[in-house]
Amino acid sequence: MSDDPRPPTEEPRLTTRLPTRRRPRYPLHVVAAMPLALAGLIALLVSGNTLRPFDRITTVDGKMASKSDYFKDPEVRRLLLKHGIRVDIHRLGSRGIATQSLRGMDVVFPSGQPAARLIRQRQQRSVKAARPFVTPLVLGTFRDYARTLVAAGVARPQRPPGGGETLYYDLDMRGFMRLIEDEETWNGIDFTAHSRRSNDGRVLVRTSSVCESNAAGTYLSILAFVKNDNQAPGTERRNRPARRTAGDPVLDVAAQVKPLINLQGMAADEQADSYFSDEGEAIAPVSLIYEHQFLKHQVDHQKKHGEQDRRRVLLYPSPHALTEPELISLNDDGDRLTTLMETDADLRRRAIELGFRVRFSGEDGTSEQLNAYLREHEVQVPTPNPDQTKVDAPDLAALERIINHVGNCPPPGQDGPR
Amino acid sequence: MTARLRQPALALALLLLAALLSGCTKDSEPHTLRVLASPELVDMEPLLDELKDDTGVELKLDYKATPDLSGPLDGYDLAWPATDRSYLLRLGASGEPAARPESTAVMRSPVVVGLTRDTADRLRRGVPGGRLTWADIADAAAEGSLRFGMADPRRSDTGRAALVGVATAAAGTGRALRTQDVSCDQLRGFRSGQTLTGASSRELIDTYVRRPDAADALIAHESELLTLNAAGKLARPLEIVHPEDGMVLSDFPLLLLNAGEHRAYREVVDWLRRDDVQRDLVRRTWRRPVGQDVPRPAALRGDIGNALSYPDRPEVVRRLMDYYGTPGRDTGDHVVFLLDFSTSMRGPRMAALRAAFADLSGADPSAAGKFARFYRGERLTVVRFAGRVLGERTVTVRGDKDLRALKSFVAGGKFGDDTAVWSALAHGYRNASDALREHPGRPLSIVLMTDGESNAGLSYAEFTRRHARLAPAARSVPTFPVHFGEADAKALRRAADATGGRMVDANSSSLSQAFKEIRGCR
Repeated sequence: MSDDPRPPTEEPRLTTRLPTRRRPRYPLHVVAAMPLALAGLIALLVSGNTLRPFDRITTVDGKMASKSDYFKDPEVRRLLLKHGIRVDIHRLGSRGIATQSLRGMDVVFPSGQPAARLIRQRQQRSVKAARPFVTPLVLGTFRDYARTLVAAGVARPQRPPGGGETLYYDLDMRGFMRLIEDEETWNGIDFTAHSRRSNDGRVLVRTSSVCESNAAGTYLSILAFVKNDNQAPGTERRNRPARRTAGDPVLDVAAQVKPLINLQGMAADEQADSYFSDEGEAIAPVSLIYEHQFLKHQVDHQKKHGEQDRRRVLLYPSPHALTEPELISLNDDGDRLTTLMETDADLRRRAIELGFRVRFSGEDGTSEQLNAYLREHEVQVPTPNPDQTKVDAPDLAALERIINHVGNCPPPGQDGPR
Repeated sequence: MTARLRQPALALALLLLAALLSGCTKDSEPHTLRVLASPELVDMEPLLDELKDDTGVELKLDYKATPDLSGPLDGYDLAWPATDRSYLLRLGASGEPAARPESTAVMRSPVVVGLTRDTADRLRRGVPGGRLTWADIADAAAEGSLRFGMADPRRSDTGRAALVGVATAAAGTGRALRTQDVSCDQLRGFRSGQTLTGASSRELIDTYVRRPDAADALIAHESELLTLNAAGKLARPLEIVHPEDGMVLSDFPLLLLNAGEHRAYREVVDWLRRDDVQRDLVRRTWRRPVGQDVPRPAALRGDIGNALSYPDRPEVVRRLMDYYGTPGRDTGDHVVFLLDFSTSMRGPRMAALRAAFADLSGADPSAAGKFARFYRGERLTVVRFAGRVLGERTVTVRGDKDLRALKSFVAGGKFGDDTAVWSALAHGYRNASDALREHPGRPLSIVLMTDGESNAGLSYAEFTRRHARLAPAARSVPTFPVHFGEADAKALRRAADATGGRMVDANSSSLSQAFKEIRGCR
């Protein structure tokens, strides 16, 4: 097998390829080596069982959103191939997955629990599912903007252990939301004092569509929780005087948070994609992303450039929200993948290397291994939730109403989930 | 095993066998996908051959300029527009719960302005710090010193992106445009400078290459202008300016229309986003890579400024386009100003009025002022009134001379006793009737500025009777009253409502601000 010219991480193409190239042009040394390679292959074929992994490969079709990052990873693909599984990614927002047809899919991998619950509710049978890891929802920004927010009194840097510039800031959501509501622009809160650039745009967070994405829906939960005096909308006690006058507390809160989102106009998919691109700072000062995307980027950056990306920094919202992706199987092929995700230590180890917080034993065990991995790769270890205020997500029905009110979302797909 | 391999004959035999085995796939036809593509993507052709070699997937690009992928999509597996924003707006507005197609950004390019060297130098001299904005472009266009080309926003996604960008900058809210931000046509001055257009930006650029004297500037993607410069078809390359007040960024997404081709689609987008392909793509097309750390030429290293938010309501974009109309239209609007010259206007109020006219003639340095100013081709009638009409002057703006004439007419006016507000308005409608008879298609509106209650001439009731007898075209001319000093706000608002206009209050801001606020309303 060492003669195989492809890198080991790439899957064999024999089984899955569409019609292949007509007359490939190989470099000379490949042409020279080809008889040897082919001869070796045939010899192995004749001698026994080498090709068995190839003919046993199962393609698992899965609709997934940002967690496709995991299945796109070459190492994950290699590990799965060892078990004869190849995952074909259909990219779609998590709530989009939940509201549209799942025909032809073997698994779905929504990025958070609200969408996962919607999907499970619609399944006829009880489903096999795995929740391999968690990751906090965060705001990706750039150094100058973070400093501006610190100066405005709504963000606080997390002190790195060895001193120097931090990668992480804690963001007081209540104060930050006030800046948005007061129609502040970045220049209006003195951005130019902290940057060579200038920005007359309003202070706002760029999100993906609330109708389609888990991140945006979870961000709405944070906004609604803060707006509702730090409790989940729909859970108020009856005789709280402040709320009694409003007819419908959930819609009332929804109406209050709507302008904070709609300010941005059209939502854009793939927030992380644009945030990490070289044009990221021009595209959006603050983008809604997940922690794992940032940590993976910093580890990669450290490996590639020998230093952390000090321009890109994270804002950890307080109160904070943890997201829990769920791999849901829809049939037997899907079952194989979910089982593997739950049992295979290598797949879980790789998840840590990709920046996820993996559950090993109990709630507290999620961060230690990730922190160790970050230290080992000289990336500052974050404290995601320093003051322990956690957003209590509204119940599913309340969240759905808030989302529909804010996003004016289309009804679910007509052919419905199968 | 190794022993066997050393035997050349056996090796050869195995090789033949291998060739036989692989023969069934090797010589099959490439898998072909039909793609509806933006015309400017013609520069991708050379890369597509490599795509076919590397993946076995062949893209057949069908170049069509379409702003929102409207028209039949049957038979297309993929779509590849410059941006899918208008398409998504249309999809969202259709109310159908149709699944959004999978979409992957392939490369980016901002909408920018390419200026001839002389024009760029000239414009920069007039701007503190020399950093140009869309407002400066609009200002120069209104003044008549800049002629530009832009693709038709009705037919091309590039043109539409440009229009939304300019309009967002004009609104100056720092957020996405809302319906109320486009309640008036703020781009009239800007539009008056447009001399070239095209169904697509490719067509626009071809026209410009043939007739470089027809414009001093092109508004298009940065990539198209850099490509044009590199092609050496111009006597001197255009200077590319990223306006300071923001830009719209296109990301050339590849959309999967035929879900059955999902696997081939994945192969294609994975290939297009490979580092080496992205590097090649930057070099060949002058678009910016979506990946990180892809090397790029110096022309693509500069800061592109801040991206503007894109509106999320289709009616906002539709209204923008309705206002913008057909590019290259040469008739400007006609505005009749009815100005109160009663004695109470003496002193600071008159100074404020003159300042307001000076601002509208180009003295206002603010972005809003540059978009709102009088523009070339616009027809302006100024009527001074008190207890009766004191004087009247009409100009069509051709240059500074006309604006100066208007200014001296406003500045040199004598005051009169009494205030005949409704007689003046009836006079304004007579003007309007005459003007509409002469130029039936020309948009017309009336601005009525007064600082006191009507105490002479027609009663409001008499005015409404006369107004009701007007021909339909004249009757539908809106009046925009400007409430100043001790004017009767209630009566003015009633007149605005009756004619389809809107009242603005100059007491709460300034006369200049009030005039700006209703500029472009009709």
